Amino acid sequence: MISFRNVNKHYGSFHVLKDISLEVNQGEVVVVIGPSGSGKSTMLRCINRLETITDGELVVGGIQVHSKQTDINDLRKNIGMVFQHFNLYPHKTVLENITLAPIKALGQDDKKAHETAMFYLEKVGIPEKANSYPSQLSGGQQQRVAIARGLAMKPKVMLFDEPTSALDPEMIGEVLEVMKQLAIEGMTMVVVTHEMGFAREVANRVVFMDEGEIVEEGKPAEFFAHPQAKRAQLFLKRVLNH
Amino acid sequence: MLNFSILTKYFDLYFQGFLTTIEVSIIGLICSFILGVIVAVMRIAPLRILNWIGTCFVEFIRNIPLILIVFFFYYGLSNYINLSGFAAGTIGLTIYTAAFIAEAVRAGIQSVDKGQMEAARSSGLTYIQAMKHIVLPQAIKIVIPPIGNQFINLVKNSSILGLVAGMELMYFADYVHEKTWISFDTYIFAALFYLVLTIPLSFFVNRSEKRLARSY
Ligand SMILES: Nc1ncnc2c1ncn2[C@@H]1O[C@H](COP(=O)(O)OP(=O)(O)OP(=O)(O)O)[C@@H](O)[C@H]1O
Ligand SMILES: [Mg+2]
Repeated sequence: MISFRNVNKHYGSFHVLKDISLEVNQGEVVVVIGPSGSGKSTMLRCINRLETITDGELVVGGIQVHSKQTDINDLRKNIGMVFQHFNLYPHKTVLENITLAPIKALGQDDKKAHETAMFYLEKVGIPEKANSYPSQLSGGQQQRVAIARGLAMKPKVMLFDEPTSALDPEMIGEVLEVMKQLAIEGMTMVVVTHEMGFAREVANRVVFMDEGEIVEEGKPAEFFAHPQAKRAQLFLKRVLNH
Repeated sequence: MLNFSILTKYFDLYFQGFLTTIEVSIIGLICSFILGVIVAVMRIAPLRILNWIGTCFVEFIRNIPLILIVFFFYYGLSNYINLSGFAAGTIGLTIYTAAFIAEAVRAGIQSVDKGQMEAARSSGLTYIQAMKHIVLPQAIKIVIPPIGNQFINLVKNSSILGLVAGMELMYFADYVHEKTWISFDTYIFAALFYLVLTIPLSFFVNRSEKRLARSY
């Protein structure tokens, strides 16, 4: 579904992604962990071309993401993205947030888009907020709306960039629960997170990054029990001991 | 005490000029707003050539006097196309004001969180759609006060038409002055006509500023 083949990226002279190769299969949940500044967000954002790559190949659903011939808007319709700070549209209601892209990018009629939006709002558990504005919602509710907004496009892949990092602790669970449900239903997901519990429980695979490299990847049970690389051991020691 | 007989005697002229001033202002307001938004988007669009054109436009227009632009359209082009004073003045005024509006709108767009554009684009909307539905509506809120002030300037600057026989308020004020040679009163009356336009406008700008600050 997603394959990175020897992808490199530079910011000027700074080498932020170093020879990244990674396969994500359909229906797989891959969790990306690693210290701050290791390039996790950058790698994720290359998948829908929010960031460009310097060299290598990145293919999503058989399409070369970074080729000039690729219609990036078409590709993005199949890739949902959830951001750390939700990025809901503050001047639009919850419903309008969700229906905008289906109407404008997919050309759905209002009624259909409306029904789809309500379906996903039910799914994330807040149908009663349809006519509220984002500012009237709690952080956890906002993030669930953002997930519903992504799902309403019926994407083949969902990308999550630290979806719970901006939330108060008591709201983290409700968002992770929605994500877990999605995983169970077979959504292909790439999740950057610091929630080790989620990685352990939901991920099919864990990818550990440091300094722009994929240092180690493996099944969560094995990775957490016996990390091979020194850097992974140090990282896990640090995050699990607090 | 003001000599009100001037006002009563020449009221028709004043009023005709006043209406033309309103006409210039409304046309200028709409056109310079549209042009200003387009130039602002050009300045920040992810395309070098557009950035460059937008920047050249703004820097060139902002840094020359308004009267030069108006004279360019009135006299400068007269060998190729014969524009009336009204047309030349309105075009000049529109272009001039658009440069300032473009700067205000650009600042407004840039103050909208970058995550808004990213969210919109990553859902498959085009750059133009994302601008239109997501970024510009939020930018407008920030931009209302400076643009309102540009509109007030526009009304006042429309007096430039007086110099190219644009038949607006200032033109007729000059005409009345030539007839009466009572400078002070003649121009005070003209000023009152301008105030009738600009004071409600500035009141309206203040109010919409407050209303927008309260919304969502
Ligand atoms: N636009 C940019 N220009 C230059 N350097 C950048 C830019 N964006 C990110 N970087 C740098 O690239 C590196 C990787 O950043 P990235 O955001 O991908 O890290 P991350 O692993 O997501 O970290 P975090 O856990 O803090 O989110 C960082 O050192 C960052 O400073
Ligand atoms: Mg990050």
